Amino acid sequence: MPGDHRRIRGPEESQPPQLYAADEEEAPAARDPTRLRPVYARAGLLSQAKGSAYLEAGGTKVLCAVSGPRQAEGGERGGGPAGAGGEAPAALRGRLLCDFRRAPFAGRRRRAPPGGGEERELALALQEALEPAVRLGRYPRAQLEVSALLLEDGGSALAAALTAAALALADAGVEMYDLVVGCGLSRAPGPAPTWLLDPTRLEEERAAAGLTVALMPVLNQVAGLLGSGEGGPTESWAEAVRLGLEGCQRLYPVLQQCLVRAARRRDAAAPL
Amino acid sequence: IGFQRKPNIWKVIFETEFIITVEPLEYYRRFLKENCRPDGRELGEFRTTTVNIGSISTADGSALVKLGNTTVICGIKAEFAAPPTDAPDKGYVVPNVDLPPLCSSRFRSGPPGEEAQVASQFIADVIENSQIIQKEDLCISPGKLAWVLYCDLICLDYDGNILDACTFALLAALKNVQLPEVTISEETALAEVNLKKKSFLNIRTHPVATSFAVFDDTLLIVDPTGEEEHLATGTLTVVMDEEGKLCCLHKPGGSGLTGAKLQDCMSRAVTRHKEVKKLMDEVVKSMKPK
Repeated sequence: MPGDHRRIRGPEESQPPQLYAADEEEAPAARDPTRLRPVYARAGLLSQAKGSAYLEAGGTKVLCAVSGPRQAEGGERGGGPAGAGGEAPAALRGRLLCDFRRAPFAGRRRRAPPGGGEERELALALQEALEPAVRLGRYPRAQLEVSALLLEDGGSALAAALTAAALALADAGVEMYDLVVGCGLSRAPGPAPTWLLDPTRLEEERAAAGLTVALMPVLNQVAGLLGSGEGGPTESWAEAVRLGLEGCQRLYPVLQQCLVRAARRRDAAAPL
Repeated sequence: IGFQRKPNIWKVIFETEFIITVEPLEYYRRFLKENCRPDGRELGEFRTTTVNIGSISTADGSALVKLGNTTVICGIKAEFAAPPTDAPDKGYVVPNVDLPPLCSSRFRSGPPGEEAQVASQFIADVIENSQIIQKEDLCISPGKLAWVLYCDLICLDYDGNILDACTFALLAALKNVQLPEVTISEETALAEVNLKKKSFLNIRTHPVATSFAVFDDTLLIVDPTGEEEHLATGTLTVVMDEEGKLCCLHKPGGSGLTGAKLQDCMSRAVTRHKEVKKLMDEVVKSMKPK
């Protein structure tokens, strides 16, 4: 890119070879709308981060790391009544800073590094969904940094990032009320089609509407909801949310197991 | 701190923890005097190296390299572009090293910092000097169409010796890249891509980097960890290819080295090249039946 002198210069513009390819991509195969792809989750794999997690669901690969708590920049003086359970007053509560990054090679087309608006929107969605679950009152004047990196986008990237971020926070030993589990949905275009749970990249690309729900499974409370597109009547959206929440509940035991294994591994590595 | 006749294990542990925090250099010096390092390695020993190729299916070529804890992933995307006006028969190879905040708490999010820029320039120099790919091989139609290989290297875990890991990841990913066949049709003068027919790149040389850290202006250790890099008084990276030819030497300031020491470094780099080449060949062989 012309103005960016911090990176090695390449050509002014380039096109992906797929534009010139003769054959069309196959349409996504018909499948059970409530199927969830098998998930591989592992926590505690980065040595430099306080807590980390890697999640792989179908083709989607997400890595998340948590660091902190660190002194918050721009500290404010605040008073007021203390919260319940020895928590700091509202003005002094800790902050969660989320960062969502997409690797340039993660999608079909290369996306040059300064991500732009979409990454900021997803980072904000991450923050809004994780805040209800973290006991920020226990970290006064501190900030926790959560960074998610999408290595490969195989569909439902935001949902996978949410789940990985919650696992990483738990792995870091941050005090939480509950884990946050994310699930993606999409609806193909056309009259009265069904909502598909955990769409693949092909299904997401052809979708008329998409939705991501984040649930705190034990408390059974919705932590976040982000959707857009032409979804049809309101009952259809309600149906989609219900489907998503069921999907999140089904995913929960896998994540519990992952955290237990990570704790055992950490125990075994620190004999004292 | 000497040992008494009946060593009190808790006293020893406390004093060790104390010295690691307060005087880490002194702690290291004790090990270096015995010609070893706190993680049990010898001065000339590398950490366990593992490589995994082809795991990112959206990329045209990919590789993940782990050097001890240091983890770097390289993804290569190939696109079309017009060749540069001053070299109409050449393509582009554009490396980019990214050190995101997730790999270490010292990095902030935002535009590439100094270390990332230095690493990107280093990789660009290695590609240029070692002629790992002839840019002429990337040209499809002189003056009209050429391949651009965007090589994006992302560090996932920063525990020292980033340059070695990046070079190895780049090499492994390039060996994994498959480009589709392109023909320029005569009637429309447009490119026609056949995604079903793919071929590997012609990799001419295999540059391998070996990094050293200098301690107290005299002692050289190979493959420094993050902690060792921080305590070192200088660093040096030597890039060799298979014929024992020097491709690149990177010594960003720091303590001076005598000619003899440099020669030692280069011979260690040659042995490291053999180790890495063996690993690469094993990996490529295991990927063959496709």
